Amino acid sequence: MWGKGLITGMKVTWGHWFGKKETVYYPEEKLPMTERFRGGHLAFDEEKCIGCKLCAIGCPNAALDLTVSVDENKKRHMESYVHQIGRCMYCDLCIEACPTKAITWDKNYEFASYFKEDMTYDALVEARNRRGNDE
Amino acid sequence: MHSGILYSLGQSLREILTSLIGVPILVDLLMTIICATILLLIMATSALVFTLGERKICAFIQVRIGPNRVGPGGLLQSVADMLKLMDKEDIVPRGIDKWLWVLSPILLLVPSALIYAFFPFDDGVILADVNVGLFLLIAITSQTVLPFLMGGYASNSKYSLIGGMRTVAQMLGYEVPMVFALMGIVMITGSLKMSAIVEAQSDVWFIVLQPLAFLIYIITALVESNRPPFNIVEGESEIIAGPFTEYTGMRWALFFLAEFSNLMCIGILTTTLFLGGWHGPDFLPGFCWFWIKTFLCVLFYQWVGWTFPRARVDSMLSFGWKVLLPIALINVLLTGVGIYVYNVM
Repeated sequence: MWGKGLITGMKVTWGHWFGKKETVYYPEEKLPMTERFRGGHLAFDEEKCIGCKLCAIGCPNAALDLTVSVDENKKRHMESYVHQIGRCMYCDLCIEACPTKAITWDKNYEFASYFKEDMTYDALVEARNRRGNDE
Repeated sequence: MHSGILYSLGQSLREILTSLIGVPILVDLLMTIICATILLLIMATSALVFTLGERKICAFIQVRIGPNRVGPGGLLQSVADMLKLMDKEDIVPRGIDKWLWVLSPILLLVPSALIYAFFPFDDGVILADVNVGLFLLIAITSQTVLPFLMGGYASNSKYSLIGGMRTVAQMLGYEVPMVFALMGIVMITGSLKMSAIVEAQSDVWFIVLQPLAFLIYIITALVESNRPPFNIVEGESEIIAGPFTEYTGMRWALFFLAEFSNLMCIGILTTTLFLGGWHGPDFLPGFCWFWIKTFLCVLFYQWVGWTFPRARVDSMLSFGWKVLLPIALINVLLTGVGIYVYNVM
């Protein structure tokens, strides 16, 4: 019958009209990020890190500025772990390179900023602050 | 002679004014001004209500929530929109035809406000019940073609001009089947008077007697008022905004106001011509039935508009001339035969 498609279309929209809405009320509600989501700051785990610098070597854009010190037992310590977000392309290669899984993404996508300085941060300082807040 | 709350309200207002002023001409003038003001207010309010309604319905159909931040449940969104539009800079582009460009939105608003005078809102409640009501109404609505073309031509922009030309093609093309579809009603009623048309539907609504004309009218009304799916005049994805492309702020708001006023017009016309006007069961007064039917019609038109994709220009024009016009003519013929048979029997 001619015009049957029109009625079907009207039925579909009628169903949507009173059906469940997909909108998430953003600032109040947030979508959970997926397992493999890449983004945000690097969450650094000081205990796991062995200071091998493989992450910085693996980084194609040289976005990681690491300072490593060696103590009297020839054990390597991370002094600073500066991540320059402006250079980072979120390729995940640093995280894949890490042999002890000491870095992960914190999956916080709300770090838009007015200043260029905010694009650089020290993951080590952040990790210590976070641990300080937890304790 | 007439009954109904609105009519008796109007009569008592007239009596009060007569006792206050005494001069009949002045009272008539004052009554006309009051009525015109009320009609303009209805028009402006309809634009406010329908902007929000349009956005909400569009959102619901697209599985969204729509505006919900301004006021309770987003109710004040259209007020915020209006304030924003008034606040905007009045940009006058270079190289335009100044007079035509300035006049276009104003001239568009005039016919869409004028036709409210011919709508019977309740028993006896009609500002101008002229004996060629329907004819005059169609004549005035067809004036809306010109301001679109004016604006499109005067803007000195390709998109505007294309939009203006499209308006002419579309509106003139669909004017003819619409008039022929309404001819059936006029033949049955035997009058062009709006109140007589509503009166003739006291027993049977014209949607029952003229189903074919009703279908044609729905389609042509959508086209005439530039509603989606026939909004090729605007056609955002094709020609930006057609004739409105170069307009900003309040000038653009006038186009907007006219569009929503036209939306309510086609709702009111569908109600008046096919759905029995203010007729309805007795437990509600006539004007309530009128507004309920009108709002349901507007909802229906918005529902249709947000369901179907925009029609292509060429297929739309050929549909109008090659399909709708013959059907409308056949409808006139069938109505004539039907009336003849009815009279013989």
